[in-house]
Amino acid sequence: MSAPRPTTLLRLLALAALAGLAALVSNRVAGPTRRLAWRGSVVVAVPTMIVPPAREPVAPELAPLAGRENTEVRLKAVAPQTPAPAKQVAPAPPEATVPIRELGSAEALAGFQAGWPFLDARRSAEFAEGHVRGAFCTSVWEADLEDRLIDFKAARHPGPGDPIVIYCSGGDCHDSHLLAEKLLAQGYFHLLIYRDGYPDWVALGRPTAKGAQP
Amino acid sequence: MNWLRHPRLRLLARLILGLVFLGAALPKLADPPGFAKAIWAYKLFPAWSLNPLALALPWLELFCGLALCFGVWWRAAALWVGALLLSFCLALTLNLSRHHPVDCGCFGTSAPKTQAQRLADMRWTLLRDLGLLLLVVQVLLPAAPGKKPR
Repeated sequence: MSAPRPTTLLRLLALAALAGLAALVSNRVAGPTRRLAWRGSVVVAVPTMIVPPAREPVAPELAPLAGRENTEVRLKAVAPQTPAPAKQVAPAPPEATVPIRELGSAEALAGFQAGWPFLDARRSAEFAEGHVRGAFCTSVWEADLEDRLIDFKAARHPGPGDPIVIYCSGGDCHDSHLLAEKLLAQGYFHLLIYRDGYPDWVALGRPTAKGAQP
Repeated sequence: MNWLRHPRLRLLARLILGLVFLGAALPKLADPPGFAKAIWAYKLFPAWSLNPLALALPWLELFCGLALCFGVWWRAAALWVGALLLSFCLALTLNLSRHHPVDCGCFGTSAPKTQAQRLADMRWTLLRDLGLLLLVVQVLLPAAPGKKPR
């Protein structure tokens, strides 16, 4: 291999320029589900610490307790009956200091029955295939996210401290976490991430709906 | 070893590289948000660069693939393809070394996998990319003496 000739270097630059130009044009004519903003991204530089959900059988016992110190004492008392890794048993600190918290499956159902709004952070095509009944399509990677959030706010008028449930595909899906970070930056501080997400909701036969968001 | 630099072998290597890059570009062009998510999963790029990369990289792959297939500007295209493959290998190696399983994202989004499956796939992808890099070297090698390069 010899050193590239000047014409080759020019062609290298020309290929990059062509790619940039084609990307500009195609992004301009693309529909909202295919478009991306050139500047900015939904990803925040320093993610907020997200508290895992309390272990569901333990959670009701912990509910009346207010302080972390008390809950730790209580946990020690229940530890012999529920041997589990410390991370799973860790209680959720008071909600006022934890703007983003993960939600277990039973809590998600309780929230649904209580009428809490559900935001679906998955891609809009996945939303159309099936979603939690009444959920809003707020795909975190698509360019019309801001418009979707405005529609959601106009429909539900959520206050900054009102609970908002966010879900995606469970497992190692992080779209709901990204959306929660975005809503936190907009001033909402009672954001609940349904950890097991839509696959869990479907598996448990809970109410779903199909079709794109109107 | 002159057969390694035979023009027909070069033509074959160029076509394989070109078709692989065309195949890689098309699903990404169809879904830039999905590709931005795939790049983000590598945890190697700053947030501001995700969307521009997701928008421009598939087009670069497409033009390089076309150039290699049709034999136009093939040397510049092969250099780009080599640079891209090197960066893919580096990204995979860094994530393998820190046991961070990621979906390759090479040919668009894939079905959900377990972490062990992802790590195994990443090793195969790394091997495949190294093989493609050898093809790039073959394309860029001067033709064997006495053979007219195409």
